[in-house]
Amino acid sequence: MSLQTNTMTQSPLVCLRELNKEYGNFTAVDHINLDIRKGEFLTFLGSSGSGKSTTLSMIAGFETPTSGEILLNDASLINIPSHKRGIGMVFQHYSLFPHMSVRDNIGFPLDIRKVAKDERDKKVDEILQLVQLEAFADRRPSMLSGGQKQRVAIARALVYEPEILLMDEPLGALDKKLREDLQDELRLLHKRLGITIVYVTHDQDEAMRLSERIAIFKEGEIVGLGTGKDLYRKPPNAFVASFLGNSNFLKINVTGAASAQLDKHHIILDDLHVMPINQQALLMIRPENLQILTPEQAKNEALINGFNQISGTVNESVFLGESLTCSITIPSGEQLISKNIATEQPDLEPGSTVFIRWNSKHSSLYSKWEQSDINKNSAQ
Amino acid sequence: MFMISSRKKWNNVTLLFPIILFLFLFFIIPLASLLLRSLTEPTFGLQNFEQLLATSTYVQVLFNTFLVATLVTVISLLIGFPLAWCITLMPKGWGRFLISIILLSMWTSLLARTYSWLVLLQSSGIINKTLMAIGIINQPLEMVHNLTGVIIGMSYIMVPFIVLPLQACMSAIDPMVLQAASICGASARTVFFRIFLPLCKPGLFSGALMVFVMSLGYYVTPALLGGVRDMMLPEFIVQQIQNFLNWGMASASAVLLILITLVLFYLYLKVQTDSPVSSNTGA
Repeated sequence: MSLQTNTMTQSPLVCLRELNKEYGNFTAVDHINLDIRKGEFLTFLGSSGSGKSTTLSMIAGFETPTSGEILLNDASLINIPSHKRGIGMVFQHYSLFPHMSVRDNIGFPLDIRKVAKDERDKKVDEILQLVQLEAFADRRPSMLSGGQKQRVAIARALVYEPEILLMDEPLGALDKKLREDLQDELRLLHKRLGITIVYVTHDQDEAMRLSERIAIFKEGEIVGLGTGKDLYRKPPNAFVASFLGNSNFLKINVTGAASAQLDKHHIILDDLHVMPINQQALLMIRPENLQILTPEQAKNEALINGFNQISGTVNESVFLGESLTCSITIPSGEQLISKNIATEQPDLEPGSTVFIRWNSKHSSLYSKWEQSDINKNSAQ
Repeated sequence: MFMISSRKKWNNVTLLFPIILFLFLFFIIPLASLLLRSLTEPTFGLQNFEQLLATSTYVQVLFNTFLVATLVTVISLLIGFPLAWCITLMPKGWGRFLISIILLSMWTSLLARTYSWLVLLQSSGIINKTLMAIGIINQPLEMVHNLTGVIIGMSYIMVPFIVLPLQACMSAIDPMVLQAASICGASARTVFFRIFLPLCKPGLFSGALMVFVMSLGYYVTPALLGGVRDMMLPEFIVQQIQNFLNWGMASASAVLLILITLVLFYLYLKVQTDSPVSSNTGA
């Protein structure tokens, strides 16, 4: 962790300052500020229309910002055409040149830069080796599979050693297995080359798997920025909590510095919260942080300090191999979803009474939220 | 299993019979008889072809035909390429509107269009009068009853045949490929010459071939806008039949025209296999 904070203090490679993009009345990107650090793997995560791709296009130079500033190494990029920005980019649909062989596709950026023939061939061979496509060098893109095409696209973007590599949902068109393989390859590639990567995706697993930091986009704004771990464990707001992973939301009344009222139950809160007293708030608990106990277990195992316990009725439990998910109705009528390692879990019959426990440190509290933020997951 | 498949095969051949008969009756027999006539009238031998290629007037006719076809192809490519690009870039509604204008001109009677050019281009026509009124020229330009008129009129007629295939080809190009080239460092010029133009190649080739071959055999427009001195091959064929009843000579010219077309088509297929017809999108 301390190692990570060291790299974080380095000066940013790209700065977005009050960046804004409007199409008529529609604001696609709403005055965002963001520092992209040298050498980091940053992911823009958001649903479609959240402004993540538009932001990427503005960095690449395909879209002109309505207002705001983009700085690369402290120099403005706004008036520099995309072909002079020295940025590498990988597109969702590969966008290879169909009339050129793999070798010429990869050599294209070097030809543009008038690199001498020997050096060009050497570099192309090196990068072909890096993406493991030596055997396909003389094929046309139409003769490659999706994964191979994307590897060519990555090679083409890396061959001229750009300072920053932009990737716009590069694995979106591939099937699940291939996507996971390429995710691992990409992560290794990033480690090996130390290049700065800005990655756009709508797939949260992909964002978690790949990135060092994630920026979560919603309606043109960045609503969460941090490591996947931080964003998942302590989401800054209810939207991030529901967007990233699964979550249970409970409406509570804050009654003290570390206490609250849930329906008729008294519960304890993490004493780090800064909510005003006597106000409604939203409590968020991840499904895997809910412990489910049968009445006997609850009797035998004493409640640890800092834990809450409420009762509930099982609606349904589903065995998923490694885990067991369970939907439980609590006395207030709200439904909770729990997810636990299946090995130790007793079978839970629908209708049976259970006790739910959670550590108050593993819950988050929000004073402001929109209904649409928390409905999102139940709709899925 | 064997029974079924062999029966199926037999069925397929019977189903093809009507169309084979049709092709045989209406295409193969006439072509064969054309070839036969060119070799047998008035007597058996290659004398018609010898005469055709040896006489300077006939060679001049061949030269005119090729000159006009080449120029018409080049001019309609020069006009058609920007037009097709324009249609591709336009918002959908406008693009369709432009295409319908082009189609409308294609569907208008050929004679009407050709006579319109006659009216426009003649020495007392609008173009000459306007130019003289402005003072650019002192006496009317001779733009009709010569090769200039033929080339202007035919280019106008041929532009749609370039635009339609070219536009189809251009709209199949993934604009992201052009963006990809740009982010790789290519300037607009380089993107055009290294990426866009090569990707338009199939459309350019098929359009150009169609126009060139059509121009070789075009009759109405050259007959109306052309002069007596610069005759083209189709006019020559008509003259041989109508004026001299020289069926052998006319057939030989027609065979020559067909041979030239076949050679061109063969060359086109040779070039085309090399170009990425089916992989335009890059996917």
